[in-house]
Amino acid sequence: MGTVDANTRIDLYRTMVLIRSFEEAIRAEYHADKKPAWDIGAGLIPGEMHLSAGQEPVAAGVMAHLRPDDAVTATHRPHHLAIAHGVDLNKMTAEIFGRETGLGRGRGGHMHLFDPDTHFSCSGIIAEGYPAALGQAFAFRSRGSDAIAVAVAGEGAANAGGFHEALNLAALWQLPVVFVVEDNEWGISVARSASTSVASNADRGAAYGMPSTRIEGNDVQAVYEAAGEAVHRARAGGGPSLIEIHTLRLWGHFEGDAQGYRPDLDQVDERDPIPAYEAALRTDGVLDEETIGKIRTEAAARVEQAIQFAKSSPTPDPTEARRYVFAGAN
Amino acid sequence: MTATMPQTGSRRLSTAKAMVEAIGQEMERDESVFVLGEDVGAYGGIFSSTTGLLDRFGPTRVLDTPISETAFIGLAIGAAVEGMRPVVELMFVDFMGVCLDQIYNHMAKIHYESGGNVSVPLVLTTAVGGGYSDGAQHSQCLWGTFAHLPGMKVVAPSTPYDAKGLMTAAIRDPGPVIYMFHKGVMGLAWMAKNQRSIGAVPEEPYEIEIGRANVVREGTDVSVVTVSLSVHHALDVAEQLAGEGISCEVVDLRSIVPLDRAAIRASVAKTGRLVVVDEDYASFGLSGEVIASVVEHDPAALKAAPVRVAVPDVPIPYARELEYAVLPTPARITEAIREVMHP
Amino acid sequence: MTDIVFPAMSKDNAEAEGVVATWFVADGETVAAGQLVAEVAMDKVDMEVTAPVAGVIALASAEGDAVRQGEVIASIT
Repeated sequence: MGTVDANTRIDLYRTMVLIRSFEEAIRAEYHADKKPAWDIGAGLIPGEMHLSAGQEPVAAGVMAHLRPDDAVTATHRPHHLAIAHGVDLNKMTAEIFGRETGLGRGRGGHMHLFDPDTHFSCSGIIAEGYPAALGQAFAFRSRGSDAIAVAVAGEGAANAGGFHEALNLAALWQLPVVFVVEDNEWGISVARSASTSVASNADRGAAYGMPSTRIEGNDVQAVYEAAGEAVHRARAGGGPSLIEIHTLRLWGHFEGDAQGYRPDLDQVDERDPIPAYEAALRTDGVLDEETIGKIRTEAAARVEQAIQFAKSSPTPDPTEARRYVFAGAN
Repeated sequence: MTATMPQTGSRRLSTAKAMVEAIGQEMERDESVFVLGEDVGAYGGIFSSTTGLLDRFGPTRVLDTPISETAFIGLAIGAAVEGMRPVVELMFVDFMGVCLDQIYNHMAKIHYESGGNVSVPLVLTTAVGGGYSDGAQHSQCLWGTFAHLPGMKVVAPSTPYDAKGLMTAAIRDPGPVIYMFHKGVMGLAWMAKNQRSIGAVPEEPYEIEIGRANVVREGTDVSVVTVSLSVHHALDVAEQLAGEGISCEVVDLRSIVPLDRAAIRASVAKTGRLVVVDEDYASFGLSGEVIASVVEHDPAALKAAPVRVAVPDVPIPYARELEYAVLPTPARITEAIREVMHP
Repeated sequence: MTDIVFPAMSKDNAEAEGVVATWFVADGETVAAGQLVAEVAMDKVDMEVTAPVAGVIALASAEGDAVRQGEVIASIT
């Protein structure tokens, strides 16, 4: 395990704990008012909900290297990346609750979070965030900035057309992009082995002419180190890279997914990356009980504050439903 | 949770189960019929459009695909050209953007471009519709877009009976049929449902003619022409307004292409008033086409200006208050009928 | 008389509550053995319930009401 210093390790742990705390809270809120007859459209958080528990190492390890002026494009499962990149948690939570104070004034919802302050965006169409990242990278370079773009998508997206077009164009034009593939093993109910013709999407990145690597073990420090290289390369004008990270979808594809198709369901909790990392930090004397307790308490408090902000925010005015279709005078 | 009120004396299914029954019966009858798409196998389709088919027919006839719509829809087209009969699912109609070329430039045009020498007997099933906060990229209907492009039939059943009959007809059709099922009519256990999502379905195979509308409620004062989930809302409104002495005729189009213009005209000739309810975007689509069908034929047929209840030209919002402000709700349908009755 | 009970659907929680999501038959209707009578739901797993015997069905639970595993949801005479 390389040369990651103790403070960085604690920061990585802290980020992961904050993400998990948030996802657990959203999960509880989401289900609370949908009982006993589960109605997807009911409650304070209606609609689909795709949570990122288990994938915290990707977010913590990659985003640690980014600045607020770096762009991030993400998918229908965006919360961990948004949190780790510093998207305003209050506004993000308010958007999930569909409030006027949300990032999208309640119009976008949890799959369509846009934060211009941190150049963060996400979308529900698979692989379509990859081309957008190219454009942001192109703009940064055109203006002479060393800001970069990080495009994150799942292993399922690596079989979609937009993925391949984006990789080719980024390499051809040597754009400052880092492509991240989150291999959480499942495209809804379809295992990677049933969707993908190669064992590693790093081979596909290499085929398009960019330095590529695959990280095993959902290892936040290995992610951190690989991401550091890729980010540095992009910033220095060295062009794009691809990092595939073998991670873990701890919960269902969406909340309410019974996962009857998933044979490893009983072993999933053993693979939770956060207790494993916590244990490693304890063993190395980097974390003690007290610090762990403090980190967890602070995370819970921050999350609770965001949820209260959301719940006490006004709902959008229905007479304004058509506002913001076009830019300019509305 | 919306309760259903089954009628006595007949076997009833949900729209989803009726659709699956049709596919299963055709697969038994014709071994060239096969199913492919995302999560259609073990999962049974994320809106239960293929439940149980993998267990019955196995993985050579029910295939889970990667997230590669251009590739697997293209594959379905190629297989159809060679005489197979694919039922291929585009998970959400909103995803059409990533594969539209295969659909409108190939699937829909091959028969014409080949002078009728090459056929594409393919059914493209797809989930449409909103009302449960799935946001701008997962709540659209888009039948107007598909209908506008020549070369493909477009159907949208509203009931279990129609769902089975139209699916059977679609699979047997020698050309491409887009089969659009509204998530809100499927009768799913996890989504609020209208009672008409559960209904009587004959056990034996049968077809419903594609291109034929159905007058689901006769009336004399106003023709409410509509399709899919909006049929249920229109019927609910009609029942209520009957108590006020307004007699609504509700026409369930069932097919958007071919559009049953004769049925629309016959209804308006009787009532003289027209309300179109269309969950797709208002402008440049189905609702305008229905109105044009009437006024081009006989502008004097209308006693009052027609009213359309559609989604105004806005992306579907996520927040419930906003989403329900743009959907063609029973309240908006009621208001439209009153408007056309007392202009 | 034959009772139809809410099936065991929760591995971990004997006290878990589910619902009858859909009745496909009406109270007092004559059903055949094997006929689909209901779809029940618990923890977003849905399950079909068929009539174990032929006869006249009396419904004991309304759609959407909370029901425990093993509770009688209908009976056939």
